[in-house]
Amino acid sequence: MSGTDPAATDGPRPGVPQAGVKGIGEDPREQDRDVAEAPGKIWFRDLDEAVIEADRCIQCASCVAACPSDSIGIDEDEGRPTLVKMCTGCSRCWDFCPRSGLRYERHLELTQEERGLAEPGTYAARATDEAANAGQDGGVVTALLAALLEAGEIDGAVVAREQEDEPLRGEAVLATSREELLAAGGSIYNQTMGLGQLDELLADADLGSEAHGASDSRAGSETTRETDDPALAFVGTPCMIQGATALDRYDHEPADPIALTVALMCTRSFEHSRLVSRLETFDVDPAAVDTLDISDGELRATDAAGETLLETDVDAFDAAGLRGCDECADFVGGAADISVGNVGSSDGETTVVVRTETGESAWETAAPALETAAIDRPATLEKLADWNRRRAESILPREYDPEAGIGITYEHHRESYDGTDREPEPLNPARVHQYEEWC
Amino acid sequence: MSFGPAVVSPSWLEAHRESDSVVAVDVRDRRDYEELGHLPGAVSVPGDRFRDPSSVAAGKLPAADDFADLLAEAGIDPDDTLVAYGGDPALAARFLVTALVYGHEGSLYLLDGGLEAWRDGDDRSLTTDVPDREPTDYEAALCEDAPLVDRDAVEAAVEGDAVLVDTRTAAEYEQSRIPGAVHLDWEDLLEDGRLKSEDDLEALLAERGIEPDERILLYCNTARRLSHTFVVLRHLGYEDVAFYEGSLTDWVRAEAPEWDPVELQEQVRHYADNGGFEAMVDELGEDVLGRLKLIGLYHQKQRGYFMLRTRAPGGRLTVEQARTIGEVADEFARAPAEYGGPDQNPVFGDGYLDATTRQDVQMHWIEIEDVAEIWDRYDAVGLSTMQACGNSVRNVVGCPAAGLDPDETVDIEPVVERVSQRFLGDHHYANLPRKFKVSVTGCHEDCARSGIQDLGLTPARKDGKDGFVARVGGGLSDGPRVASDIDLFVEPDQVDDLVAAMADLFMDHGSYLDTAVNRLRFLVAEFGPERFREELESYADFEFVEPDEVLTMDYRGDHVGVHEEADGRSYVGLNVPTGRMGGDEFAELAELADELGDGEVRLTPNQNVLVPHLTDDDLEALLEDPLLERYSPDPGPFTRGIVTCTGREFCNYGIIETKNRAIRWARELDDWAEQVGIADDHEAIRIHMSGCSASCAQPQLGDFGLRGEVYRDDYESGRAADLGLGGDLGNDEFIDWLVGKIPIDDVPDVVKATMCAYDADSEPEESFTEWADRTSNAELREIVTERPARDSPAIGTEVS
Ligand SMILES: Cc1cc2nc3c(=O)[nH]c(=O)nc-3n(C[C@H](O)[C@H](O)[C@H](O)COP(=O)(O)OP(=O)(O)OC[C@H]3O[C@@H](n4cnc5c(N)ncnc54)[C@H](O)[C@@H]3O)c2cc1C
Ligand code: SF4
Ligand code: SF4
Ligand code: SF4
Repeated sequence: MSGTDPAATDGPRPGVPQAGVKGIGEDPREQDRDVAEAPGKIWFRDLDEAVIEADRCIQCASCVAACPSDSIGIDEDEGRPTLVKMCTGCSRCWDFCPRSGLRYERHLELTQEERGLAEPGTYAARATDEAANAGQDGGVVTALLAALLEAGEIDGAVVAREQEDEPLRGEAVLATSREELLAAGGSIYNQTMGLGQLDELLADADLGSEAHGASDSRAGSETTRETDDPALAFVGTPCMIQGATALDRYDHEPADPIALTVALMCTRSFEHSRLVSRLETFDVDPAAVDTLDISDGELRATDAAGETLLETDVDAFDAAGLRGCDECADFVGGAADISVGNVGSSDGETTVVVRTETGESAWETAAPALETAAIDRPATLEKLADWNRRRAESILPREYDPEAGIGITYEHHRESYDGTDREPEPLNPARVHQYEEWC
Repeated sequence: MSFGPAVVSPSWLEAHRESDSVVAVDVRDRRDYEELGHLPGAVSVPGDRFRDPSSVAAGKLPAADDFADLLAEAGIDPDDTLVAYGGDPALAARFLVTALVYGHEGSLYLLDGGLEAWRDGDDRSLTTDVPDREPTDYEAALCEDAPLVDRDAVEAAVEGDAVLVDTRTAAEYEQSRIPGAVHLDWEDLLEDGRLKSEDDLEALLAERGIEPDERILLYCNTARRLSHTFVVLRHLGYEDVAFYEGSLTDWVRAEAPEWDPVELQEQVRHYADNGGFEAMVDELGEDVLGRLKLIGLYHQKQRGYFMLRTRAPGGRLTVEQARTIGEVADEFARAPAEYGGPDQNPVFGDGYLDATTRQDVQMHWIEIEDVAEIWDRYDAVGLSTMQACGNSVRNVVGCPAAGLDPDETVDIEPVVERVSQRFLGDHHYANLPRKFKVSVTGCHEDCARSGIQDLGLTPARKDGKDGFVARVGGGLSDGPRVASDIDLFVEPDQVDDLVAAMADLFMDHGSYLDTAVNRLRFLVAEFGPERFREELESYADFEFVEPDEVLTMDYRGDHVGVHEEADGRSYVGLNVPTGRMGGDEFAELAELADELGDGEVRLTPNQNVLVPHLTDDDLEALLEDPLLERYSPDPGPFTRGIVTCTGREFCNYGIIETKNRAIRWARELDDWAEQVGIADDHEAIRIHMSGCSASCAQPQLGDFGLRGEVYRDDYESGRAADLGLGGDLGNDEFIDWLVGKIPIDDVPDVVKATMCAYDADSEPEESFTEWADRTSNAELREIVTERPARDSPAIGTEVS
């Protein structure tokens, strides 16, 4: 029990966890706590310090989607989560963040047990139509989604395209036609936070009456959506898929519209402004870049005429990478229905892994639009996945353990991360979004 | 120092950078500085380290000491020439302005074109080498002639005292601005990232009437962009330039008409007959929903419907007022069919109201179409919803037994009334940085809970005169704190002046910019009680004195039951479990109070109601009325002690449903208490349950404090609660949160197990709080986590 005069007690010190007192900075919010916190209690602030301030956030937006009171928004400049109204201290953002409370390797294990095919299908494929040119590799994702859309299996797909006013900066879009899918073909090497925007994307999209399952439009429903039960494909980097499928495993509403998940195999994503700044040091004008491609350890930038602007070892772009990606062992996007990449396939082909029944049925629907072969060098895929896991294990300050419980407590996180270069950083008031909504 | 700051070119820097006393300062993120590279020799002072909205310093300025530490760490001496650059020239300028305000002695320069321009030159590569500079002992203090102005100066400028310049984009300027401001987008001073030629600049400025011999005041939104314009104007030789650190954010809240409660109420009235909710939102924008709190309307999670909060200063209502509230709830607080209509709530049906812990009355499902009618009826009986919510002086909490209690020292009614009237509808005080809570107690028992108020007044004496002693800076949500005694005596007729002084101080110092920390208690904590008292005195127009004698403080509790009044009559406190009552029942109670009592009904801070002034015959008649079966003066201990907030049913934040659950639990637990024979040992067992971790149900004060949570394991997730034990404001005791995430349905068993442990372990006469206080948290934790098997017979037999 405590009822002490706050002036008499010392404030918490950075880096020193205090019994029952949360938070690590000397923020005024903490100076006068007269009450010890419950063990395991989480506020957004704890996530902020452990992940975002510590520069470990991978911008997957799981936290944004998970928050039941919609208290987390997306900072416009930095593209990172930020509190936009009162936090109720419910812990859910933490629980679903693959960089803190969600033991993602456990989640991958569980989804695979629950939904994985005994024998996942692995293919090298390419689109037989114009999608082949629009896509990054074989245009398989574009062709697949277009086929599903046209077959009425999905109402739309959450994909990414380059923002009009900012070269190379991606944004999430909800594509509802073949044209829109073609326009969004190709890889964007930064995160879109799309998982946190499903509601807005749905509200803005006109899924209209012909949409899948859109018969009984409840009057006065809490959302303004036209379609009550849309079915969307959700495309993203493996961490985004981790968040989406984890929310779905616990039947959390934000994942309801997602009917199919497609993971873009990935060893790292980039921070947009640093990516641009890095290109500039190579005297490449980011606005002139039409496509970026990273394969086989090389980064290549080409202009609209197909002229190569830069070709260099991707390591030269280390400083632009998201630091949190180093802790990721999920190169193959193990929680997705379908994963796609380019390793192990020839140029112009996409490597595809079909992992679940949902994925299989989608794959069959799209078969006529695709030319499929056995993958060229399956061993390369495995080798890369292996390397990726070993890297993560060597960098991850906590244990990597697919058999341990799915939740990681705040205390456990602190024990593993404190004293490393990934330890929580005090909340920085200058970065706090100024919100004005409380209960 | 030289007259500055000024702008220098990359070649100037090239020529001078070898000098030890010329220091380039990189204001980008530390990681960019380290990994992407920086100018050779540049030190890193990241922008997010010198912009601190949460310090007591004005606006976004950091505290002087923090700024000094930052520069000391970077190895900067007070007389060094500083050349700032970054990705964002406004941020670099901001650094210079901050250094200027804190009295840096050396010259201050902005690098024209920043990093880009530097790199464009020959052989000006970047480096990742960090220069080897010794830390210094830099000291900083606010300069006396710092070019900062406050809101008063801006008001004067509006009157024509100076040229007011808005440095934001044209779109922002169009949308809202300070009256009379001219527009100068800070970026218009640049071309391709470089400063335009002096001729161009002078033409640009002259066009807008910004002349060197005028006094110029700059503002933007967060005092970043104006910094760049400031530097450029100084560079051009403008002498009298200053800036408004609080900027538009501060101004809008304090002065803009859309934040005027009286005006707002008129606007909303208009929509009652002209299109209702949708028309209002269309025309005034979604953000009107936030402002409606000012007039007591709180948007529910069900779109288009509102919670309406009616204030009852000191908890006092005339029977006409009570009847009106009851009737309004019965008529308007009705759910539409799609939300269940008459069956919206399985326990309470429809048309109900909630008494709150601040002696307000809340009702739900109010539509914009209804509000004009409701306000008309309210006006006729002198009720108001204005400033019941929002960042204003909230409903003043007072002892509900004021004027009744034989031990009373000061009659608080006139005090409560004067404070309420003084701030009601006052635009100036309607938009404080955050809400401002005041309580006044006149008796010896602090039932109005001074310890959790921004300003709590309890009785005291000085030179034979009765008055109050003030405690400041208490509160529960976001960082609970027990109020500090500042040893200040006030006479009853000084109270409203004191509240005004405190509100003024709050406005000046409680940052409008860091909204997360601008409760008054953060200010008290940051200043410390002594300095706070000094500051406060400078705002008050009376001299501060200490009390001779502070009259006993004790926390009585809930006023439930029959009590004798000073004049021999009686008052009866009726228990309203969770504060919820049918509107018709509330009207019925008003009827009874009219018939039997003396025309009054009162609300208590425990969500109960009180009927005063009953003669013995009337008392008997009241006690026999069937309404008192449900709202009993002698309820079971759990029913008596239960307090909840609104919860998930209506609240946007609520994680768990509270009211129905609480009623169900209370009944179940009372039956159990009866069975195991502990019911008569306890007057009240106080379970305080909040739907989330905000503190609306004051969980920190309960015997059992609960707040809604979620839990998750490998396969499941569900609703849960955090639990704490032994809160009691009587001895300034907040609970410690013992365990988190107890699955919600396990809570009654945890309560039973705890009561059993208390019964087994406590000393005779030891209260629950005392017991919980004495028992270590580890032991308590064990009691509440080792849940007995449900229905374990051992519990019953052991106790009985
Ligand atoms: C950050 C990143 C890193 C990658 N790293 C590797 C790697 O190391 N090795 C490897 O084999 N493959 C990697 N890939 C995957 C590869 O670049 C291709 O996306 C994949 O092979 C599919 O090609 P496609 O032609 O079939 O897809 P396309 O037909 O081009 O369709 C791709 C779809 O994904 C969407 N999309 C693109 N970028 C994003 C994004 N950032 N977030 C959400 N949606 C997006 C597009 O809008 C489009 O709809 C990476 C992808 C990304 C985004
Ligand atoms: S309310 Fe819950 S999910 Fe939302 S920010 Fe707070 S702790 Fe995270
Ligand atoms: S890693 Fe994902 S879940 Fe975690 S904080 Fe960042 S965006 Fe949120
Ligand atoms: S490497 Fe992992 S963490 Fe990084 S973007 Fe890809 S999936 Fe996400």
